[in-house]
Amino acid sequence: MVQHRLPMLPPSDEVDWAASVNGNAISTRVESNAILLDVIRDSLGILGTKRGCDMGTCGCCSILIDGSPRLSCLMLAQEADGCEITTVEGLSEGHHLHPIQETFTECGGSQCGFCTPGFLVVISALLEENPDPTDVEIKSAIEGNLCRCTGYQQIVDSVKEASGILCRGDTVENSTEPKSDPHPGFTG
Amino acid sequence: MVGYRQQPGKLPFSKPGSGGKRQFSEPRDEDMIPESQGGSKSQPWGSHRHDGIVSGRVIGKPTALIDSRWKVTGQAQYGDDIRLPGELVGRIVRSPHHYAKVLSIDASKALELPGVLAVATGHDATSAFGVLPVTKDEHAMAQEKVRHVGDLVACVAAVDESTAREACRLIEVEYEVLDSIHDMRDGLEESESPIHDRGKYHIGESNVQKRVFQEFGNVEDMRDSTASHNSNWLFAGANHGFTEPHAVVAQWDPSGRLTLYTPQQVPHYLHRALADVLDVPMHQINVFRTFVGGGFGGKSDPFPHEMCAAILARKTGKPVRINFDREEVFWVNRGRHPSRIGMSIHSDSEGRISGIETDALIDGGAFASFGHVTTYYNGVLHTAPYEIGGFHYTGARVWTNKPASGAMRGHGAVNSRCAVEVGLDDICEQLEVDPIDFRLANLLPPHSSTITGFRVTSIGMRECLERVREASGWDEKFRKMPLGRGIGVGCGFFISGSGLPIHWDPNKFPHATVHLKIDMDGGVTVHTGAADIGQGSDTVVAQSVAEVLGLPLDMIRVRSRESDTSPVDLGSYSSRVTFMNANAAISAAMEIRSELIKSTSEITGSPEEKLVIGDRRIFRKDDPAVGVSYLEALHKSQEDRGALVSSGSYRTPPMGRAHKGAAAGLAPAYSFSAYVAEVEVDVETGQTRVLKVWAAHDCGKALNPLSVEGQIIGSCHMGMGQVLSEEMKYGRTGHLLNPDLLDYKIPTVHEMPQVFPIIVESNDPEGPFGAKEAGEGPLLPILPAVVNAVYDATGVRASELPISPDRLYKEIEKKCKGDGISDPLDLEPPRISHSELQEKLVERGRSHSERDVERRRGDEPSPYHNGALFGLDPEIPGDEQDSRWTAVVTPSEDYLDNPGLAGSAWKHVERRKRGGPQ
Repeated sequence: MVQHRLPMLPPSDEVDWAASVNGNAISTRVESNAILLDVIRDSLGILGTKRGCDMGTCGCCSILIDGSPRLSCLMLAQEADGCEITTVEGLSEGHHLHPIQETFTECGGSQCGFCTPGFLVVISALLEENPDPTDVEIKSAIEGNLCRCTGYQQIVDSVKEASGILCRGDTVENSTEPKSDPHPGFTG
Repeated sequence: MVGYRQQPGKLPFSKPGSGGKRQFSEPRDEDMIPESQGGSKSQPWGSHRHDGIVSGRVIGKPTALIDSRWKVTGQAQYGDDIRLPGELVGRIVRSPHHYAKVLSIDASKALELPGVLAVATGHDATSAFGVLPVTKDEHAMAQEKVRHVGDLVACVAAVDESTAREACRLIEVEYEVLDSIHDMRDGLEESESPIHDRGKYHIGESNVQKRVFQEFGNVEDMRDSTASHNSNWLFAGANHGFTEPHAVVAQWDPSGRLTLYTPQQVPHYLHRALADVLDVPMHQINVFRTFVGGGFGGKSDPFPHEMCAAILARKTGKPVRINFDREEVFWVNRGRHPSRIGMSIHSDSEGRISGIETDALIDGGAFASFGHVTTYYNGVLHTAPYEIGGFHYTGARVWTNKPASGAMRGHGAVNSRCAVEVGLDDICEQLEVDPIDFRLANLLPPHSSTITGFRVTSIGMRECLERVREASGWDEKFRKMPLGRGIGVGCGFFISGSGLPIHWDPNKFPHATVHLKIDMDGGVTVHTGAADIGQGSDTVVAQSVAEVLGLPLDMIRVRSRESDTSPVDLGSYSSRVTFMNANAAISAAMEIRSELIKSTSEITGSPEEKLVIGDRRIFRKDDPAVGVSYLEALHKSQEDRGALVSSGSYRTPPMGRAHKGAAAGLAPAYSFSAYVAEVEVDVETGQTRVLKVWAAHDCGKALNPLSVEGQIIGSCHMGMGQVLSEEMKYGRTGHLLNPDLLDYKIPTVHEMPQVFPIIVESNDPEGPFGAKEAGEGPLLPILPAVVNAVYDATGVRASELPISPDRLYKEIEKKCKGDGISDPLDLEPPRISHSELQEKLVERGRSHSERDVERRRGDEPSPYHNGALFGLDPEIPGDEQDSRWTAVVTPSEDYLDNPGLAGSAWKHVERRKRGGPQ
């Protein structure tokens, strides 16, 4: 009924835990009953992955385990021991955004942005497997993610745009490049 | 030329067009320059006062949100992402009872637990607060009573989450359980222990928090009508369902100042409430708005947990973070009011809407929140867009022992609007006319006054209806589709900003203020307190400044997070931000713009009135080769004074009439919308699927069409949830059964119909570049459009939302029984053959359309008061020229003999008016 009356998990032993998170090898100790989302956010301080419901209903905490989308709030950290974990922070290379990140900004796929990291990792996995998905395939991929702002339509549009970028083999510009001429007047 | 040390021409940036690589900067995009300025952008709605400052580069182009790159890279910091060194975790002890006296709180065991640093209770903060100054009825933690399951009793700060949870469990609270009420109808009755005590202002001994009575127009004759619709609606409560649970971090720094990091829609209200509750001056507090993971009205109150974090941080000397579980979000709620609405609509033989009678009882839950206003909005926000002969509204909001209802997207207007639009569909059925033609023949013209005295400026209602009719293929589909397929129409009307600042205190102050600063680098820093909650207000303010100054968007940076650096903006509610904040930004940018033009004039010798601003260049309109670069003009302006700074603000013009409650619903502009929804109903299961929605919204001018479309589609999503699946379910014992996102059913991508957003631009005379709101209004029409479409598909008119399969199937069963049919597949869907009235209405609609075009283009249209359609003089308010037309705000004895449900709240006499000891 009220959250503080829920039974507490008993304190548990710590175990060794190692994983590759966004390409960085991490090895640490975690409680044996620790939830993966808690480890990612609270222990590792990787805050891009969001906590929305703690029970696998909203998809905000989606991450990739060895390339497949999983809900980190429903996983024990130990299940991901030795795995390759990708969060939203691992999608871009330096300042070169992943095409889906770029098109999310351009097509309005992200409004408040809280569900965005979850959508992005799920979609990146979809595009990795199938760079040219149909509408139905896109919808099936994101059916586990709730978005309250966009009504999903602009998210689907973003995926189609990103698919276009991938199929054409284009890359996304480095965002640190100047957007207007940095030395006005000197180009003659 | 005091202090002018360098000659133009010697500076490298003095070349014409030096803002770009070409000799001349990019020419203005003529397609974006309005006709009135010699451009080629057509202006069917006439010119606008901001036409002269349009540089044709930013406004009106689909623009990515300027903060979206933070969001897509995971770098946006929401409430729970603020992590400070040495922070503690706070948890809240919540009431397990619906209604109880708190007899004692024993925290000794909790404090003995290693790792627990502090416990706070109601004694630590005794001041009341609330979002409206007239209804401050909340406390940080329970003072004497807890009022709903989940109400705050105490809070704990500990080194980690599990210690804090354990400590909460160890706090022993002794309660004396009181009789709780859960049915809103019980709230109307006398009670032994009303949930709140408002002293001499208390209404009887009841739980009525607010009551409204209004009669306008010819109420006497309105029931004498050709067609009448009567219905009794039951709307379930809905939650905002934003994805980010509430979270807050409080830190008192070594100098003794509090910084509170919180996802808030109304940081300024919180700022005031914190000062009251913590008993420190406002200047000692910095409210830092983090990224907001969805608001929709659910983060627009000062919240008790924000006070708790500040109290715990003060006690421990360390930062304290409190983040909510999803369940706690439902305890805080502030969602849509569960409502019982009685709706009667009357139409005369001419097909005019001779009267609307509404009786709305709304369930406020345990606290007032915005409820004072919601009670008015349930009535006054459906007095337009139609011209009506009479309006009778009784509304009451009661306290019950449930989580508090509050403001939610479409505040107060959604449920009653649904009832009105569905009622009109029924009226049209009775009159045998087309519902779109009926509406087109009953619209108020632009620049008119509603029956309650709202000043309506631009109206794009007619265009919205015409465009959805065409786009949806209405005439081929309506009442012509097979059983199980249907189409329906609904309209909406919503405020664009609230005329009276909801916070009455700063009545004399502007609603929005924007500061600009431009230094040597040429970039513009915008300081504003407007809360970007994902709707894109930072982007709109940046666009406005960029447009006025002729700069690319990347030269504008918005600083809107901290109360320390931002001028006061009242916050993101009532769809006010674009209208008010962009107007303030324009007026600030205009100051800078005239400085730049003045400098250019000094450099080039051209008269100021000949100069215009283009892309980073200021030049002569008649000879673009004569001009200087933006930087050159800027640096000239900066000589001897440094950074250019300016301030602009917005306040609403005087509006409205003088009766009690006249200010509720007043807005500087109103938005309009019309949707057509096409649905598929499985008559054997009651399952409804919305297939397509044609959604036309009049937002005045789409400053950022990408955002406007996003708002329209998002509104469809949220409204569709409320009409089909979302419901806060309370069990027989009064417990909330579904405080989670599994059982509280928000539509997923599979339920989402295809939405065709249609933007109608009616060019509001006072809006920034003509803009009005687009955030809340688009939600209103989706509910009635779906309900009407379900009727078209099945012949069943729902009056209880959501229309979940079980509810709809029961209605279908009932209809089958009534029609003597055993198989629902044999049901006859409704059909229409037009009566003689249809032709008359089409003709009236046509002549009104001509009238409207004339009025909207005219410079000084004559006054038009609601009532002209009924033969009154349009130049004078109805009640001033016809004794049968009234404006009454207190019930007569006659009415009280036989009141409506909500109207029965008026049977109670306020304590102060009862005489005797007070």
